[in-house]
Amino acid sequence: MSPFLHLAEHRVQEVALAIMAIVYVTRLIWLFRFRRGRDRQPPTGLPRTNRTKGVLYSMAAVAMPWAMESTRTRPGFYAQFVAFHLAVTANIVLSFVIPYGPGLLESTTLVRLLQIVIGAGFVVGVVRIVRRVRDPIVRRISSPDDYFCIALLTAWFAAGVVAAPNSAANGEMHLIVYFLLTAFFLVYVPFSKISHYLYYPFTRYWLGYTLGYRGVFPVESVRNARAGSRS
Amino acid sequence: MSQAERSHKAAKVLEQLPRKLTRQIVGSLVACVHCGLCTDACHYVLTNPGDPTYAPAYKADRIRKIFKRHIDWTGRFAPWWVGAGSIFTDEDLEELKDISFGKCTNCRRCTINCPMGVDFAVANRMLRGLLVSVGVMPEGVAVVSKDQWEIGNQMGVLKEDYIETLEWLSDELEEEFGDPAARIPIDKPDCDIVYTINPREVKYDPRTISDAARIFYAARERWTMPSDGWDMTNFGLFSGDDALGGIVAHRVYEQVRALRGKKLVMSECGHGYRSTRCEGPNWAGEDIEFEMESSVITMLRYLNEGRIKVDPSKNASSYTFHDSCNNARSCGLYEEPRVLLQMVVGDFREMYPNRAENYCCTGGGGAMSMSEYAPRRLKSAKVKADQLTATGARFVVTSCHNCVDGLTDLIKYYRLDMKVTQLVNLVAQALVVPEK
Repeated sequence: MSPFLHLAEHRVQEVALAIMAIVYVTRLIWLFRFRRGRDRQPPTGLPRTNRTKGVLYSMAAVAMPWAMESTRTRPGFYAQFVAFHLAVTANIVLSFVIPYGPGLLESTTLVRLLQIVIGAGFVVGVVRIVRRVRDPIVRRISSPDDYFCIALLTAWFAAGVVAAPNSAANGEMHLIVYFLLTAFFLVYVPFSKISHYLYYPFTRYWLGYTLGYRGVFPVESVRNARAGSRS
Repeated sequence: MSQAERSHKAAKVLEQLPRKLTRQIVGSLVACVHCGLCTDACHYVLTNPGDPTYAPAYKADRIRKIFKRHIDWTGRFAPWWVGAGSIFTDEDLEELKDISFGKCTNCRRCTINCPMGVDFAVANRMLRGLLVSVGVMPEGVAVVSKDQWEIGNQMGVLKEDYIETLEWLSDELEEEFGDPAARIPIDKPDCDIVYTINPREVKYDPRTISDAARIFYAARERWTMPSDGWDMTNFGLFSGDDALGGIVAHRVYEQVRALRGKKLVMSECGHGYRSTRCEGPNWAGEDIEFEMESSVITMLRYLNEGRIKVDPSKNASSYTFHDSCNNARSCGLYEEPRVLLQMVVGDFREMYPNRAENYCCTGGGGAMSMSEYAPRRLKSAKVKADQLTATGARFVVTSCHNCVDGLTDLIKYYRLDMKVTQLVNLVAQALVVPEK
């Protein structure tokens, strides 16, 4: 391993992670400095609804494609969402396995699995770029950051597929590119819309907290409806 | 354009923006990923498929870009990159008015369909409030708000007219039942129920008041109506004016306390129920010590307790139920009206989608008072018209006066063979009044 690749795999990643962590903490402090809205009134809705169930339902909605009409009626889009986010997870795992547990990548099966998962993310990334450009509504709501983020992630997936075997037999350039992209990704993420995952737990929590208290979450199945309200 | 060139109104809006922001609203403003999944949840989009400006994410971005430019440091640092922007002229404010009042009914359907949990309706209400604070609002909103501020109810009904209406309704009830106790009690202290209504009932639909009185009479309820603070509707919900919302809600609570009422019951009105039961205590900054209940629950309770008897064969037609957005999607009141309806009619037909997933009547969010947007509203009502037609029912029942008007309007516009009614009318119609 060349000193430069070692630097890219370790120190550069550590610095990038530190920057990301600092920006994230700052961002959360900023968010929590806004006053919190509160509900003074007693709860509404059926007794089977409450804040806790509302929060759990809201947080779990991402894993329940049947919960929202928007995902229930678009199984293909939901499948893309799953593939894309699994790829992100796999690529993050890969960025730690290569420097800290390279022995794991001696397993051809694991390497192939990572390549398939990350490769699927790459395909979805391409599909999403095309959708963002072609769909008039999505195009209209897109900012340069939206295009850059999806392009960045798609390129990072491609680099991940090539880097997964962790082989320097034909040179180190692909590994250097992968780790520099990873470092850039880590530094850029907190400033971009990719940081949505930082907000996700809070927005879903707050929505579930409110709509659970008000008897809306969990959304009632038409077939399982029962009455007996406290409101 | 420089700061100095910004219009006075635009500067005021920006000055007030930080004070309007809560943690929850900020979360909704920073979390959108522009995935577009909210798009098809909106009835405006479904009826204007070629126009991106109706998309919830686009509409939300009109607020978001200002937030990013002035509050969020990513937009301060690189505004172009993240789509941040500002407002400078009164024309900019007019454009925001057109979007927040004219292209959204705050129905919250996009909210429950957002994977990120972005609550656009709450952010849109905040924007409306900012615009209203500088006098930028549809004429109808200004007129109704003024009436509610000055006269105490949103339709400008004078106290004398209100009392007179209750008196002649009482005369009719007394004659109908042959009992002086059948009159509508006004300002009677220490009652179990203080009943509040929508001023539309006094002005256009007094039958709903007398039907409620029939039910209270049959149930032998100890009830009263206040002579002041009787309007449980609240235009603050639609205009985004929290101060108006607080004072209107306070007037109602104050009357219940003055009369030493045990429970406040609100007639069938989606935004009234939400405003008085759910949002009012927050706007007024008051903790409420008495119970509050929708009349739907009250009527269902009477039936479950055997205090009233009904004969569903008296409602012999076919009926479907339309969920008010404020009741179902913001207060969880969607099951009880169905149970009650099925107790008083013989032929109930479910509408799809329903409950929290139902489509807006298209008259929500104060849209019925904004005549300049009526053509848009009626165009977007095609979604609701198709839903209604698919049920094959002759009557659509709803627990909301706003929805009654919205549905009546679209039924006329799309020439549907259908009528609108409310639960109170059907329960009263099906009542079996025991011999004295």
